[in-house]
Amino acid sequence: MLHIRLFIGLISVVFFVVTFEFIRKRHLREEYAILWLFTSSIIAALSLWPGFVNILSEITGLYYITAVLIIVFAFVIAVLMHYSITISKIKEMNKELTQKCAMLELRLRELERTQGR
Amino acid sequence: MQRRVAVIVPAFNEEQTIGSVIRGVKGLGAEYEVIVVNDCSGDNTTRNAEAEGATVIELPVNLGIGGAVQTGVKYALAAGFDACVQVDGDGQHPPSEIPKLVEPLFGGGVDMVVGSRFLGGTYKVPFMRAFGIRIISLFLRASTGVRFKDTTSGFRAFSRPVMAFFARSYPQDYPEPESLLMAHLKRFKVVEVAVDMNYREHGISSITPFRAAYYMTKVLLAMLIDLFKEF
Repeated sequence: MLHIRLFIGLISVVFFVVTFEFIRKRHLREEYAILWLFTSSIIAALSLWPGFVNILSEITGLYYITAVLIIVFAFVIAVLMHYSITISKIKEMNKELTQKCAMLELRLRELERTQGR
Repeated sequence: MQRRVAVIVPAFNEEQTIGSVIRGVKGLGAEYEVIVVNDCSGDNTTRNAEAEGATVIELPVNLGIGGAVQTGVKYALAAGFDACVQVDGDGQHPPSEIPKLVEPLFGGGVDMVVGSRFLGGTYKVPFMRAFGIRIISLFLRASTGVRFKDTTSGFRAFSRPVMAFFARSYPQDYPEPESLLMAHLKRFKVVEVAVDMNYREHGISSITPFRAAYYMTKVLLAMLIDLFKEF
């Protein structure tokens, strides 16, 4: 039990550091950043308070399989994190395009006006 | 040569008030030019603004206040303006106060000026809002040592170096407090000056009491994160 707690604790720390680094490098928009910081603190809470996992085990009867589940869980989280970063990037690109498009449209309207159309 | 100041008016469904804001700015003289950034309004904001002779940039999708203001800044920078002022389209910011914001920029040494309701004057804000503004103010003071009273004021003026910085990076959702912090972290000189503000003529504040707590959490977290960001 101690091993798994250390393992989960380690995941949460790694997760927190990675999230923080992405925020610092500005790959993550703040709304996703906050979500991920929240998620990493939940994982940290799981390792600090194993009673919660015990309750889950009692309810579902899952013991041995939890290790497998955690590995799958970590993988899914990594994929989701990747999506968050991609969406952040796409939103930023979309904003830049919107602004550029609006300014070009203004120039076009002004050009048409001066050409007397 | 006469200096040119862009008055950027982010507008979302402000057909009732946009005209009088533009007329007010025009009354200040030829150095001020109005640039309305219509954030995908569904009403006649563009038509009413153009009728008063303003330049109107129409965003094809709604970007929110941050994206709209940044569009105006980018335009003003490219068009060679010497400074710009951000003014709300709802009539809350009296155009007659604009010179008070602009003058310090040309007086030497100041990069950004924030119009404050709380330096003298009698403007009353709702309790929750005043409380939120105060919390943000305390956060700024604790994290950077600078003192600002009206941390959510959207009545501000930027010099060209600040315009260049905000054209590159500007926060999106509730940008006023965050951009204040960012400018400070970038070592720009930001000052507050006392201005009068009107109570809004039409429409309601975008911050309802229901969303106040969410707003505060988000702004404070975003500002906390800003302290570590690379700009």
